[in-house]
Parts: sequence; C-alpha cells; structure tokens
Amino acid sequence: MSSTLSALQEWLLSSVKPDEFAERDPKTAGVRFEALVPAAQIVAVATRFREAGYFLESETAVDFAECVELVYHFNRWDRAERCCVKVLVAKDGGQPGDGTWRAPSLWPVYKSADWFEREIHEFFGVTFTGHPGLKRLLLPESSTIYPLLKSFKGEPKGSDVEQSLKLIGEDAAGFDLNRKQSLTCKDRDFYLNLGPQHPSTHGVLRVLLHLTGERVIDAEPIIGYSHRHQEKMMEIQTYPACWPNMGRLDYVGAMSYNMAYALLIERAMGVSPSPRVEAIRVLTTELNRISSHLLWMGTYLLDLGGFTPFFYCFDDREKVLDILEMATGERLTYDYFRFGGLDKDIPAEMLPAIRAFLPEFTKHLKDYDKLVRKNVIFRKRVEGLGRLTRDTALSYGVTGPMLRATGVAADLRRTEPYSIYPQLDFDVVTAEGGDAYARYVVRVREMEESVKIVRQLIERIPDGEITLGKLPKNVPKGEYYSAVESARGTFGMYLVSDGTLNPYRIKLRTPSFSNLSSLPALLPGCLISDVVSVLGSTDIVLPEIDR
Amino acid sequence: MEMNDDLLRPQSPAPGLVNLFKVEDAFNLARANSLWPLTFGLACCAIEFMAGGAARYDLDRFGFGVARPSPRQADLMIVAGTISRKMVPCIKTLYDQMASPKYVIALGGCATAGGPFKYPGQYGILEGIDKIIPVNVYVPGCPPRPEALIAGILELKKLVIAGKTQGTLSPAVVNDSQDARPADYKNAISRADFRKPPAPPAAAPAPAAS
Repeated sequence: MSSTLSALQEWLLSSVKPDEFAERDPKTAGVRFEALVPAAQIVAVATRFREAGYFLESETAVDFAECVELVYHFNRWDRAERCCVKVLVAKDGGQPGDGTWRAPSLWPVYKSADWFEREIHEFFGVTFTGHPGLKRLLLPESSTIYPLLKSFKGEPKGSDVEQSLKLIGEDAAGFDLNRKQSLTCKDRDFYLNLGPQHPSTHGVLRVLLHLTGERVIDAEPIIGYSHRHQEKMMEIQTYPACWPNMGRLDYVGAMSYNMAYALLIERAMGVSPSPRVEAIRVLTTELNRISSHLLWMGTYLLDLGGFTPFFYCFDDREKVLDILEMATGERLTYDYFRFGGLDKDIPAEMLPAIRAFLPEFTKHLKDYDKLVRKNVIFRKRVEGLGRLTRDTALSYGVTGPMLRATGVAADLRRTEPYSIYPQLDFDVVTAEGGDAYARYVVRVREMEESVKIVRQLIERIPDGEITLGKLPKNVPKGEYYSAVESARGTFGMYLVSDGTLNPYRIKLRTPSFSNLSSLPALLPGCLISDVVSVLGSTDIVLPEIDR
Repeated sequence: MEMNDDLLRPQSPAPGLVNLFKVEDAFNLARANSLWPLTFGLACCAIEFMAGGAARYDLDRFGFGVARPSPRQADLMIVAGTISRKMVPCIKTLYDQMASPKYVIALGGCATAGGPFKYPGQYGILEGIDKIIPVNVYVPGCPPRPEALIAGILELKKLVIAGKTQGTLSPAVVNDSQDARPADYKNAISRADFRKPPAPPAAAPAPAAS
C-alpha cells in the first residue's frame, strides 16, 4: 500500500469516522477497502480523494429493503488503488423520485458525477442536492418508472407498443418544450441537433449544439437512444445466461468485456483457469483490439471525408474477423469465454492463419499510417482540435486512448495486471497534446503493440485443459469488482451477489460513458464542421454507453 | 446469371407474341435494381451493414451500395439493431420522411421481434419494428452475416419486381408463449441481513458442491 493511500486511510479513520470500515483483498474484491461514511461527509471525502489524485471511476447504487446504498469507486491512473466508499440513503417511507431520498451531489468535485447521478436518479429515484440538472438520462423524459429498484416488477405485456405510440405522440407535440430553442436575430445564437440519426455519430447519439454563427458555445450529449436495459436483464438471468450480454455491450471489441466478466466471476469463486486458457484469452482479446481500432480508423477517416481508408481498413478487419471466427464461430458479438475456461479450443488452422496475417498487416498498417499522417488535409482537420487537459480528464474520469493521448501512461494491463499480461513485453503507448491527432497516434501505435503481443503469444501457447469442469451455479455472497483495459478504456464490473443463482445487482462501468461525458469540455470553441472530427476521435460505441 | 434473367421477367398472366408491360412494372424493374438504403444504424447489426458495404461483400455489386444519409433520398430503410423506446419516434419520423415507394428490411433478431433483449416485463425496447411501420423482409440472425443481408435485399428485389411490396404490420400484442414464463424478479433484501456474516467462510467456495 502506497503512502498516499495509507495517509488517506488514516485521515478517513480519524477525521471522518466511518460507520463501517473493512480492508479487502484487492485480488478477489478488486478494492483496497470499503468504508461507509455519513452522507454529510461524502463531499469532503471526495475532495480529499481528488486532491490526492484519484478519479471517480464509478458511482452507482444498490437497492436494499430499508435503504438505497450509494457506492463510489475511486481509483488512480498510475497504480491500481481502488477504494470503495458508501453512503446510505434511508427510505423512511418516502417514494422514489419524490425528493425524500436525498444525498449530496459530487458534481462540484467531479464532473463525471453529473451523468452517474442522473443515472442513479432515474433508476433508483434518489435526489442529489446541489446537482445542476437532475433529469432523465437514458430513458425518455416522460418516463415514470424507477426500474432498478427491486419493487419494480416489470411492465405489463403489450406496454412496449403502448409506450411507443405515446412517445410518438409526444414527439409530434414537440421535443423539449421547456428548452429555449427560438432563434433570435439579435444574439445570433441558435440550437442545432446533431443526431440521433446521423452518419457520423457512430450510433444513435444526439448532441444538442448551442451555436453562435458557426462556433460552438456549448454542447450537450443526449444519450439513451440505444438503452437495452442490460443491468436489469442480468439481474433476472442466471450467471451463465449473462454471457451473450457481454458480447453485445461493445460489439466492436467484445472480447475485453468477456474477459472482465470471466475475471469477475472467477475471482468471486476463487478459481483460476489453466495457462492455455489465459494465453488464448489474451490472444483473442488483442486480435479483437486490432479489429476494433481498425474499425475506428476506417470510420473516423470516413467521417473526415476520406472514403478509401474505410475500404482498406475494413478489408484488413475482415481478415481478423476470419481468424476470430475460426475460434468462436462468430464475427462480431463474441461470447467465447466461460467461467474458468473457454467455449471451445482454438482449431489447428488458426495459428498458421495468424502467422500469415501478421507480416502482411504490419506492412499495411505502416502504409496506411504514412498515407494518412502525411496528408495535410487530415492534419489540419485534427491537430489542436478537441484538446483534453489532464485536469479535465481527471474530473470526467476519462480513460483509455483518450487519456493516454494526454501523456498519461494509464493502462490497466500494466497498472492493475490481470491474466498473463505481466509476462508479456509491450509498451503503454502515450502521446502528447491531448488533441484529436494525439488520439489517432495512440490508437495506431496501440495496434502495433497488439501485434507485438500476438506475435509473442503464438509462439508459446502452452498445453492444458480449456475448462475447469463443473463449477457451482451460484456465486458466494459478497461484493466484487473487476476491471480490464478494453479498446476504449477502463471497463469495470461491480457485482453484488446474495449467494443465489442470479446477481443481486451488476453495475457496468463502461469507458465510453465517461469519455463521452467530457464532450462538453472538448467542443466549445470548435467550428461546426469540426464537431464530427472531435466526436469521431473519442471512439464511442453507443450501446456500450447506454447499456 | 440465370437467376437474374428469371427475375427480370415480369409475371405476365399469358405469354403471347406481344408482351405489354404495364408502366408500373417497368418502374418496379428500375426501382428493384437501384435500391438506395438509408444510412442508419441502431446497434450491432449496423456494423454488419457497414461490413456489407465495404470491400469484401460490396453491396454495390447489386446496386444497393448508394447509402444515403438523408431519408428524402432513400427508398429502403434497413432497421439494423435494437429499437429502444426512446428511439421509436425518431424511426417513425425517418420513415415518414422517406418518399414513396419505400421498403423496410428488419435486420436481425431485435428489429424482428426483440431478439435477445426480450424478457417478460422488459421496460426498454420495442419488440419488433413491425409494430410501428410495415416490414417487407425479415432477416434473422444476431447479428446476421453480411451474406444474409444481401440475401434479404435480393429477396426484396424479387418482391419489388413482382409488385408485392405491401409490407406487413404485426398485431400490437402477439400471443407469445415465451412471454408467459414467470418473471424472476427479485425482492429487496435487508441490508442488515446482507451484511450480517462478516464473510468468514464465504471466501472459500467448494467446487465439489452442486
């Protein structure tokens, strides 16, 4: 334990006097300690964490019979020191959403709390005092349900059509009637909706741009157009039945999400897979990272107006998909991992196929990079745009290539090593500047690093069993947290298990969610034609944000 | 190209020496060979739609590759992905904005009937786009491969040539046996109970159990 953390812990114990405090084993629980602090103290605690260089990794809630428990996870960039702080919100006979369940907002300390708290507000009905705009985040604004409360027992059959027709009616009556949208000639300000149907938003994202002339004054991402109630769905499913959900969260880089779920349940059960399984897992994950970055590269350059790179990148991506299809049988939504093992072993023809692919791809990547990076038009459209500072990144909880583009070598594969990453030789890629160009550089070089990892692995996949046989169907009672470095950043899973066959609560801390929430800090000052450039450089996948 | 020759021949009731095409038949023939899809994706299936348009699968071979970002210029809507309720008004608006004649393909399980995200009492999605707008062709899969998408569009082409483009709307509530399963919604447990054992034996699971 580092001195910063022990000082923090000492301060917490002596000054805040938590109601409950327990040190936990980071190997199983994923956190250093859990502390239950009085609600009045949480802002002071968060301020202290912020000053010590921690970011708010996730904020969520768990519904219990007598109270709603707010769970905050703080973590660092340079080393994994995840700390869990909790606050109880007593129910006291109040109703969700009526304002009686109250907690102080962390928004003044961490900007990332904005979306986290809106999400808790809409799913649990907790009101945060001091929050600047507490309204629905993922569900339509006219919703009246609080679905993640245990008292919510589902909607009656046929309500999907009824609700949809109601929403169509509301839409005809006008979006956001309470918002000032009139164009006044005097100040030349106006609002423009980018999305939700727009070719360049990589999904169904709506960005409400506040413009003066062609300059962006303010931007507000509006999300939830792809909300697929995955967290509620996982609560009513058995643990193995959640595998397909992991393939469909971030369908572009699904292997990392498989990895997180496998790690979570394996740590909770106290089992570890064989070295062969670990090697194959890392191999497929890194190949998937390449295909994910290739998709980003193709579509990003398409956003910027270059059609040809799209075809070239997709051509190489198809080759990666062919290789992964040999092992998984799927092209996109992989659910290949199993608890303690894999669905099936890799076929004999897979390794030769990878061997043939790697040199070819390395050459292609070099060519593409040269063509793109030396293009003046490209440089002018990305350099200096959407600049993210380290302080903003800390405040918004930005992770992944976006963070590494600001020069911070934060990569969970190195800082919180899992699987066999400590045995592998690769560099954490960083770039300076924090602009769209730096993000491009990081992602392209990350593909090179992934190639390096794959090259090491194909030479030394050990023999071994690919399954551990029958495991118990339930997960021991307790709380667990696992995190991996996905192609987009830190993906964390927080599980509260009550020891039965299905999870009591699962929180999916998705990287794009926090990355996208920093958009209001990136866009102001941009020209409207550059909005797409900045947006594309964040590499978002909407169903992963909306979950 | 036998298949295409077959397709290009409109269904005439009695082949004679002189075949008189109806004007509509000639129009349909033109429409069927240049279906312009709307660039519009909702979830995973949209990536396969993109892959379909890229180098390997190349929708352009069939004249379907001219994806238009504006609904005013498109005549084929490919509903690719899960339809969340928040998105429904937008899809409806896009459909209404398209000029007739317009065709709809439901790509994948979600757009067809809710797919993997359908469970008793779900609160977030619309179980099938055919409850809101008429659908011509359904393509199964989760997600369907690009080949399946191409097969779906070719199927639509046949329908367009034959003039059978009246899409179907499904009844609002389908009698579905899957929905009759009892929902396994949990009740809230007491936090005091949950915390009670400070986890002494819970750390060591017994693999032999079960």
